[in-house]
Amino acid sequence: MLEPVSVGLKFAFLAVLYLFLLWISRSAFNDLRRGAFGGPRAPVAADATGMHPASSLDVLDGDGSFSPRLVVESVPGLSRGMAYDVAEGATLGRGDVEIQLEDPFASSRHARLTRQGAILVIEDLGSTNGTYLNDELLRGPRPLHAGDRVRIGDSTFTFDG
Amino acid sequence: MTARNRELFALIPATLLVTAGFAAVFIQRDNLLSDVSLTYGAIFLALCLAAHLVLRMTLPDADPYLFPLVAVLASFGLVMLYRLDEQLAREQAQWFVVGLLFFTAAIVALRRDHRVLERYRYVIALGGILLLLLPRLGSPVNGAYLSFDLGPISFQPAELAKLAIVIFLASYLRDTRHVLVIGARRFAGITFPPLKHLGPLLAVWGTAMALLFVIQDLGSSLMFFGGFLALVYVATNRISFVLIGLGLFALGARALYAIRPTIESRVDAWLHPFDPELYEREIGGSYQIAQSIFSQADGGFFGQGFGQAIVQLGDNPPILPAAHTDFIYAVITDELGLMGAVAVLLVYLLIVERGFKTAMLATDSFSKLLATGLTAVLALQVFVIVGGVTKLIPLTGVTLPFISYGGSSIVANFVLLALLLLVSDRARREAAA
Repeated sequence: MLEPVSVGLKFAFLAVLYLFLLWISRSAFNDLRRGAFGGPRAPVAADATGMHPASSLDVLDGDGSFSPRLVVESVPGLSRGMAYDVAEGATLGRGDVEIQLEDPFASSRHARLTRQGAILVIEDLGSTNGTYLNDELLRGPRPLHAGDRVRIGDSTFTFDG
Repeated sequence: MTARNRELFALIPATLLVTAGFAAVFIQRDNLLSDVSLTYGAIFLALCLAAHLVLRMTLPDADPYLFPLVAVLASFGLVMLYRLDEQLAREQAQWFVVGLLFFTAAIVALRRDHRVLERYRYVIALGGILLLLLPRLGSPVNGAYLSFDLGPISFQPAELAKLAIVIFLASYLRDTRHVLVIGARRFAGITFPPLKHLGPLLAVWGTAMALLFVIQDLGSSLMFFGGFLALVYVATNRISFVLIGLGLFALGARALYAIRPTIESRVDAWLHPFDPELYEREIGGSYQIAQSIFSQADGGFFGQGFGQAIVQLGDNPPILPAAHTDFIYAVITDELGLMGAVAVLLVYLLIVERGFKTAMLATDSFSKLLATGLTAVLALQVFVIVGGVTKLIPLTGVTLPFISYGGSSIVANFVLLALLLLVSDRARREAAA
């Protein structure tokens, strides 16, 4: 007697289900069409799996007169050519600092860049494995010049004045 | 529309599904159109709303679709269980309440920063391994050591252990992923990790093999090891590590196949389900899998309709054994046909898509790896059980997440969902800022 109702309910069930799925997958496709997985503001992925610390990464050059940058030469998890803006100085290390290195040989607060007038000074913060400036172990604070190479563990940067 | 309003809107279909499903089952069973189905729909909606309010208060930016997708799976589960056995559905509904309580507790406890989990990684890992070993104290069910009796409750520790192991691996690989890549050697076109760091990888492989040997369950160890390989791939971006891992797993499984009779009988039942000798065999035969294929074929394109699948005739042995747990997918296929079965798989697919998207959005490595691992393990679990029921791979007893009957499965999967939403909330807030 109620057989048609039962069949109707089955098709209604399937219809609701597919409409729901269509609605959700539309939003998924929109995400894919936008290209970047996170919209326009997402940082550029460093590798296929998109794993890299995105904190304070900035690929753009500043337009002002004083725009010193640390350019990534080879840093685990980051792609070559990315740059950190260090105009206001920065701390490098594995811990909660401006430039986070996912490098097992880096200390949590490894080295610091400080601005002194128009130059930047680099100093080691008593790290375990040391900081190398142009392949020389850094002892005490030293000024940075354009083209200098800074190495911490397996991470190498070039300073761009 | 804000994320939470989207979520609220998306909960409506799930409620409609519960109401329609229950109404159809009532009509089929008692030939009456009752308003009780509306009551069930209302109770279900109330539960979903409660969880929605928790999310609204604690994780305002979390992914809006994950919870409604899970609610749809839950509604499938409740309708199917009610149709199989009223008592089971009632118990399952109680488990949903317990699951939602754990879900809320996990969110409230970790709402500030889920990364505190990293601090307890070794405790969590130890807990996970102990949980897995627990069933050895009891007796095997169908040759596998998967459940443990805790008073009146039968408890499947593998469900909770999968969370523990993913948390541990995500945190461990966050620290060591660079070491695995740096100093890797290329040999014959394949990148091998440095020998001294191969140790931990081999240790995980050994654990998976030991697991296979101890609990004698191919499905769970495939799930754990597959999750691990997914994490290694995302952490190192080296497909070669995954291929090496799969090769090792295949070798190990082949070796165990030769030693353990349980695994051998599973494989035989998988290869020759319609062999009369295997079909008639009392223990370890192919009766279950053959019957599962028959009832799926019975479903056709649109299915037989709610309550129409033949699961049990009189007091004979069941036509479809373990219909409420392992073979619930076969019941769904029988009653809703190919369309229904594909819809279930699509729901899982979308959950996985949201999970990986969460991982892409997350900014710190631990969150990325955690979301990847949780999603991968969930996807593999669906693959293992649906693959088993449809005779794609040897059948092993894991639950179909959020649908199968089972308390520990529901609770563990709700905690998994809570962790995904926690990662998603932080990631989406940072992306929007």
